[in-house]
Amino acid sequence: MPVPDMFKQGLARGWKTHDGSRLDADLTLEADVAIVGSGAGGGTTAEILSAAGFKVLLIEEGPLKTSDDFKMLEAEAYASLYQEGIGRMSKDGAITIMQGRAVGGTTLINWTSSFRTPDPTLQHWAREHGVIGHSAAEMAPWFERMEQRLGVAPWAMPPNANNQVIRSGCEKLGYQWHVIPRNVRGCWNLGYCGLGCPTNAKQSMLVTTIPATLDKGGELLYLARAERLLLDGERVSGIECLGMDARSVAPNGRKIRVKAKHYVLAGGGINTPGILLRSKAPDPHQRTGKRTFLHLVNFSAALFEQVINPFYGAPQSIYSDHFQWDDGTAGRLSYKLEVPPLQPALTATLLGRFGIDNALRMEQLPNTNVMLALLRDGFHPDSAEGTVELRNDGSPVLDYRMTDYSWDGVRRAFHSMAEIQFAAGAKAVLPLHADAGYVKTLDEARRLIDNLSLEIYRTRLGSAHVMGGCAMGEDPRQAVTDSLGRHHQLTNLSIHDGSLFPTSIGANPQLSIYGLTAQLATQLAERLRHA
Amino acid sequence: MHNTAIDAPHLSRRKLLKVGLLGSALLATAGLTASLSGCSASTPKAGFRVIRESDLPFLQALIPAMLDGAVVPARMAQAVSGTLESLDYSLNHLSPELRGLTVQLFDVLAMPLTRGPLTGVWGSWQKASAGEVRAFLERWQNSSIGLLQMGHASLLQLVLMSWYSRAESWAHCGYPGPPSV
Repeated sequence: MPVPDMFKQGLARGWKTHDGSRLDADLTLEADVAIVGSGAGGGTTAEILSAAGFKVLLIEEGPLKTSDDFKMLEAEAYASLYQEGIGRMSKDGAITIMQGRAVGGTTLINWTSSFRTPDPTLQHWAREHGVIGHSAAEMAPWFERMEQRLGVAPWAMPPNANNQVIRSGCEKLGYQWHVIPRNVRGCWNLGYCGLGCPTNAKQSMLVTTIPATLDKGGELLYLARAERLLLDGERVSGIECLGMDARSVAPNGRKIRVKAKHYVLAGGGINTPGILLRSKAPDPHQRTGKRTFLHLVNFSAALFEQVINPFYGAPQSIYSDHFQWDDGTAGRLSYKLEVPPLQPALTATLLGRFGIDNALRMEQLPNTNVMLALLRDGFHPDSAEGTVELRNDGSPVLDYRMTDYSWDGVRRAFHSMAEIQFAAGAKAVLPLHADAGYVKTLDEARRLIDNLSLEIYRTRLGSAHVMGGCAMGEDPRQAVTDSLGRHHQLTNLSIHDGSLFPTSIGANPQLSIYGLTAQLATQLAERLRHA
Repeated sequence: MHNTAIDAPHLSRRKLLKVGLLGSALLATAGLTASLSGCSASTPKAGFRVIRESDLPFLQALIPAMLDGAVVPARMAQAVSGTLESLDYSLNHLSPELRGLTVQLFDVLAMPLTRGPLTGVWGSWQKASAGEVRAFLERWQNSSIGLLQMGHASLLQLVLMSWYSRAESWAHCGYPGPPSV
């Protein structure tokens, strides 16, 4: 039975949308609140404000793609749904950065893992970064609300064999492991969350908060880049948007002027600092774009006798936090262990090398497991961090510099992953580094990993979580916004996205963004009502 | 440390520095010459959106070396043209900045002035053996010049991703393709 495309049905009912690639003339749009970005932060904020009676306009740079468009094919999905056509990287090209760019933002292409912000992270923010009002107790009701809204629950089906490796290995070693809560309803267990959910089971913004906003008379402008905020003293007076071509690659010459009473930036880490920098927003302490974190990821592959078929089944269902807090909150760099889904195009670039070497590795894909470590960056003064800058064409890029402290975390993560993979029965393990080959025993792996020259390019590094760059906090010398997400210098501007986080989270960040922005948007609605 | 730079593995640090500077200068020259001379005509070849006639000799030498082992010789020509088609599609969806960098990289690889000193391939790409292509890739991977290391990583990722996004590559890697919904 074909899956009904609920978004198309809504459009047929008369939802108001504007396609920036198909405008006959320049356009002016007005709203009570204009929100830049339609991902976790923008979608959540839009639903809450429109339910409170405000007219909301959502602005999205990427295209509108809905369930009928999601064919589970990598080439199409990467080109249309990811930032820079999946070409986004750190400035030096060493770290692949996977971020969404379509209506629904990264929630359209994430792997559905949904964790509350860990308590130690919230405590660290209060203690070190002047954040108030976001303790675990204060946040709990907001997480609960969004968990209910988005169907977040621990995955009830058995994990696929790729995830099972974490469980088996950790059980053998006496390490802790847990089932991952996912934001799905009626999931088919296909494994293609990263390419757009073809069954509308994933509770992304595309099928939840954005439809709710449009049902309340909100409007959606897509294929339009918010180029700059127009400033009038301490206030934002408008947003200048550029119509984009249908690929969302180049502006098409059309302009859209947006006027609102209040403005919310929700373009995520990299893009939100980017628009502030392009707009030359006041930044007396040079905080915009600073302290941007990535949950830097390194990978370890393993071969098994049995079939793993790592391209099928819910991509992430088991994790281990055994090492996450092993040296306290701000000690040596620690990590969360998970697995990625392994469709072939992305996998070929992860497994490394070329010619015969890569071909042999790819040939064994059905028997391959890959594990990943999310390194919890930003808690220690020596941690690697990034700074958002503008390229000559005004587009933002992240300059992320590795440090010895961070490489030490990468090396320990290689050790932990190999240990768990062998304990789970792997017959060979391959740390994903240019100088490594598959090795057959843990002893060999230990020697190999200890001797790897850890440096950029030789070590395969990635990130799917950009956090920080517009930190919240009460001290304007440290933070871009206050703890309510209000810009310290511009009175009618808020930031509601992952760029608010003063450090990385220590868990896949989507639920942290939902919970935080639900709280901030509710408080914003209160303030606007009394304004 | 890894052996670095152009040819001799035992270059002194001083020489290494020179090579580094020379390399960067060559890269800059290539970019400039290309844009001034119009040698890197920005017109794509018929049937392509980004890839130009001048890019083809290099790409047609590179792709078979990358896919060696994944594709049987009898099907290589077909695999190369399929990979080119997918590569062109990806390049056409990159941000202008990244597409520009990639096109510049192709210029550096196509122009004799820069190709010889930077890749070690002194003759034309049409005449380069698979061994020479592999040697060039290894040399860039182990170069002391960050831009060349980055170039190496980009070439690997662009080509492998283009090939393995195609259905005809999936039998080799045991991927049955997406399920039907």
